[in-house]
Amino acid sequence: MSPDLPSPIPLQAYLVLAAILFCTGVWGLINSRNAVRVLMSIELMLNAVNINLMAFSTYLDGQLIRGQVFTIFVITVAAAEAAVGLAILLSLYRNRETVDMERFNLLRW
Amino acid sequence: MTIASTTQQICFLVLSATLVFGSLGVVLLPNIVYSAFLLGGVFLSVAGLYLMLNASFVAAAQVLVYVGAVNVLILFAIMLVNKQETLAAIPGLLLRRILSGAVCAGLFLLLVRVAFTTDWALPGPTPIGDEATIRIGEHLFSDYLLPFELASVLLLMAMIGAIVLARRDVFSSDVITGEPVDQGLIEKSRTPLLLDTNDQKRPMLENTP
Amino acid sequence: MFLPGVLPPAVADSVSTAAFSPGLSLQLHAGAIAPEAAVLIALLTCLLVDLAGEKAASRWVPPLCYAGLGTALVLLALQWDGPQDPAFLGSFLADNLAIAFRAVVAASTLLSLLLSWRYVEQSGTPVGEYAAILLAATLGAMFLCGATDLVSIFISLETLSVSSYLLSGYMKRDARSSEAALKYLLVGSAAAAVFLYGASLLYGLTGGGTSLTEVASALQTSASPVTALALVFVLATVAFKIAAVPFHQWTPDVYEGSPTPVVAFLSVGSKAAGFALALRLLVGCFESFDAQWKLLFTVLAVLSMVLGNVVALAQTSMKRMLAYSSIGQAGFVMIGLVCGTEDGFAAMVLYMAAYLFMNLGAFACIILFSLRTGSDRIADYAGLYQKDPLITLGLSLCLLSLGGIPPMLGFFGKIYLFFAGWADHQYLLVVVGLVTSVVSIYYYISVIKMMVVKEPQEASDVVKAYPEISWNLAGLQPLRAALITCLLATAVGGVLSNPLFTWANSTVAGTPILMHAIG
Repeated sequence: MSPDLPSPIPLQAYLVLAAILFCTGVWGLINSRNAVRVLMSIELMLNAVNINLMAFSTYLDGQLIRGQVFTIFVITVAAAEAAVGLAILLSLYRNRETVDMERFNLLRW
Repeated sequence: MTIASTTQQICFLVLSATLVFGSLGVVLLPNIVYSAFLLGGVFLSVAGLYLMLNASFVAAAQVLVYVGAVNVLILFAIMLVNKQETLAAIPGLLLRRILSGAVCAGLFLLLVRVAFTTDWALPGPTPIGDEATIRIGEHLFSDYLLPFELASVLLLMAMIGAIVLARRDVFSSDVITGEPVDQGLIEKSRTPLLLDTNDQKRPMLENTP
Repeated sequence: MFLPGVLPPAVADSVSTAAFSPGLSLQLHAGAIAPEAAVLIALLTCLLVDLAGEKAASRWVPPLCYAGLGTALVLLALQWDGPQDPAFLGSFLADNLAIAFRAVVAASTLLSLLLSWRYVEQSGTPVGEYAAILLAATLGAMFLCGATDLVSIFISLETLSVSSYLLSGYMKRDARSSEAALKYLLVGSAAAAVFLYGASLLYGLTGGGTSLTEVASALQTSASPVTALALVFVLATVAFKIAAVPFHQWTPDVYEGSPTPVVAFLSVGSKAAGFALALRLLVGCFESFDAQWKLLFTVLAVLSMVLGNVVALAQTSMKRMLAYSSIGQAGFVMIGLVCGTEDGFAAMVLYMAAYLFMNLGAFACIILFSLRTGSDRIADYAGLYQKDPLITLGLSLCLLSLGGIPPMLGFFGKIYLFFAGWADHQYLLVVVGLVTSVVSIYYYISVIKMMVVKEPQEASDVVKAYPEISWNLAGLQPLRAALITCLLATAVGGVLSNPLFTWANSTVAGTPILMHAIG
């Protein structure tokens, strides 16, 4: 896209795409039985947010691009969260020998 | 309609199709390894979208961090915890899936409605294009200095914590009294709630470095 | 808007550099985060000391933490009523609200650390890393109290959350602890993603601004569905952090499975940061949607008070009972938030300070009991009066204070909240609050009854085999010091609560966003 031409793709197209990705992530979050897949669903949701931020950044904030900086922070945190999540998953797997969310029920009243 | 804009539209359509079907595959495919590879595809197509939005630096960061680190980490995790287990059937699972699908569809309609009814401040200023990298650097060392520095603390803690939780060697005695310890909660007396007792009674992992 | 020259590479450095170059300090106002810098230095020193081995760590880490947190508290006191220039070009604001809540957070960490040492040693987990992660959580919570920018809010929220996940899973050989950590992580990350979606909508709505002032001015002119959606998304995250019903499901599991000193921190420090965030976002930012968020919070408060206090009746585990009671307590604090009057805000601050002492006092007793007996079942407390009068007295006073019995500190906090609610015509909230207080007194008293009125032969097996009371072991002295501090504050603080009222009122008076909301 050359900077002086209006983009042929409307902003809303990106927003709809982000919405699809976000809702898929939410569905996966609720329904996945494998804990690793739940982590993947969360990554999908974060990517949806990033698409939103990047689209707004280019279309509405083209000079200061704060959205791009925000996205970089989100990417950083997502990486940290994934590392911590997998460490916790690993220590849980050593204790329970399963990654089935339905069997993580030691703490139910 | 020029060739450039047609190319862009085709690229966008291809990338969105990859994104949508890839993400559906991530949550729907029964084999988790396929899901992980499709997740890599989703990350790559998101990076492609960033390129279309004139953000080459963030696209590179997306490929490096998400595909290069997060996705590989997830694949490693799958390999480490890949015991074949047959999931016990749950009554009403299909109903639950359909209901949550309906909820998600409702959420989707809401989000789409918001995207179309809001009058975003269009058109904004002209995008700066390739100078974005410089601008990002300026932001990180001026008005986003505080989150930037705090992110370093976050990453340090995530690293240390992940190592502490994932490593196998543990102390077997109290540093001060020398009594045997087991790195568990002090409150032991909730045994009635521990359902899988055979899992708990397994010999603990040895002190292997 | 960009600064000339090279900027310092680390926050700690920036504080010291700022002292030498007046121009830079004028723009950054880096002095505003001096207390956080003290905590950060303590954190890094703990990690360095930990390299010297576990023995050196258990010797040197506690004094380092006390020094860091003590310095932070002193620096916070010096900042009181200070100049309120936005620090770091609008990322952080050290108004009195931020200072008060940061003080609550730092004090809760200090007390939790005092409670931790023996627990951590006895469970055989590394001390240095434990203290470092808890200090990182404190750092995140303290920044969250003063953050005035969506990016800073997000990063500090995540620093707090990621450290909390690690702390809940710290007992890695215990399936319950790992399970609690995984549940907390999954729910917490999902909440963070939802918050981010709301933040991205707000970013689009402002046309490219992330600071809360820009967001507030953009929200004033728009009343489309997008603002409602952003409000709901942001509110969900706030409610998750303060564990309001129906965003509370993680709380009982996490509280039961986490190491008890960590629960003490989560129930006070993390919650205080959540309330500071709520004030900053809802009062400072969504003020044009006053009616909407107040309605939503009224519903949340009523649900929290009812469900938290009623379900607590049925619990058999002490930690789980306190988890549900803390949900109910959060409901009481929300009354002050919904009022939106000067008294309401002041009552919130006062109740958080009171809650700090009474809740941590209760946790100190529970930790001491489980260190001696290895149990946290309520039934095991039967007949404790005969064997351990200190725990019995401490737990009784703290629970009575939590229930709001005069003349404890909690009574004055609660009565101030109800008074503020009544004055603002929030009759529903006050009536529900009064009724659920009575319910809460019932289950608090039943614990006390269990400890006090049982005959020696009716005592539980655990109490019959109660070990000899000794305070010799390293780590027990700090626990006793924390217990007695909390006890004194809870018991005497009620009688001498006038300075606390003054303090709470000047917190509100020294906070521009709150004064603006009062009008």
